[in-house]
Amino acid sequence: MAGAVTKRPETNPSTKSHDGRGTDYASLLRAAQGGNHAAMERLLMKAQEIAYRFSLLVCGHADDADDAMQEALLKTYRHAAQIKEPAAFRTWLYRTVKNACLISRRKRVDEPARLHSLDEVALAPDGSMQRIDVEDPGRRPDQVMENSRLRQSLHRALQTLPPENRLIVFLREVEGLSTREVAAVVGISEANVKTRLHRARLSLRQHLEGP
Amino acid sequence: MKTSASDRCRALLEQLSKYIDDELTPAQRRSLTAHLRRCPCCQTMADSLKHTVETCRKAGSARLPADVRTRARARIATLLSSGAAQRPRT
Repeated sequence: MAGAVTKRPETNPSTKSHDGRGTDYASLLRAAQGGNHAAMERLLMKAQEIAYRFSLLVCGHADDADDAMQEALLKTYRHAAQIKEPAAFRTWLYRTVKNACLISRRKRVDEPARLHSLDEVALAPDGSMQRIDVEDPGRRPDQVMENSRLRQSLHRALQTLPPENRLIVFLREVEGLSTREVAAVVGISEANVKTRLHRARLSLRQHLEGP
Repeated sequence: MKTSASDRCRALLEQLSKYIDDELTPAQRRSLTAHLRRCPCCQTMADSLKHTVETCRKAGSARLPADVRTRARARIATLLSSGAAQRPRT
């Protein structure tokens, strides 16, 4: 068997806070706090991107995505200057997005009928759903199709998880937070995150790969 | 008391996430990899769980659709150009 899966770029939030895409949030925040306009713009875009993915994958309400993005944008802008520990910014950002999405959800009385795959839907300006772009640079068409199939399978599998476990999978696997960061965002112990993540992985494996 | 093969497999299953996340001690890792070499069932399970985790991680590569990105940029421009944006609350 091959070794562990590729490690995340950074797993210790006490030193730096990267996401799985190489964003160094702490440096970005410091630059924004220092008056760097471009850094502030990037930070505000990141906050909205996270709110969008969260709305689709965790809450399952694409209709709420714009509200959640707006809320995340304003909260990030208003509070970015107050954050004394840039290394803790990413945790704060995800907690803020989570709360923003939950506030959007509370405005509705219905529960999500289903989760929406990042690969299959997006919110159009008229409120309808449309397919969204997926970044697959340099991939052959058959690989793109295979990845699309996998993501749709993942979407279906995610629906079967309890909401809190779905949130943990989203934060840890999709967004690349460390276990410690996930624990801080969700408000449970690291040990509990690990236990729930393991159970969620086994459940997802069964749905994705069969018994 | 001697541990049965199924008990060992069950114990291994509980360690697989730590194995995938590279959180096992060197001794635990050696013991686990030795078991995987001898047990095709556990080997298959470990491979498929690893594949599941990789599939989840690939899902994070989706970009915002163009129209959503455009609206997000417009919100930022509006916010930063507004009077409130000149003096963020401290």
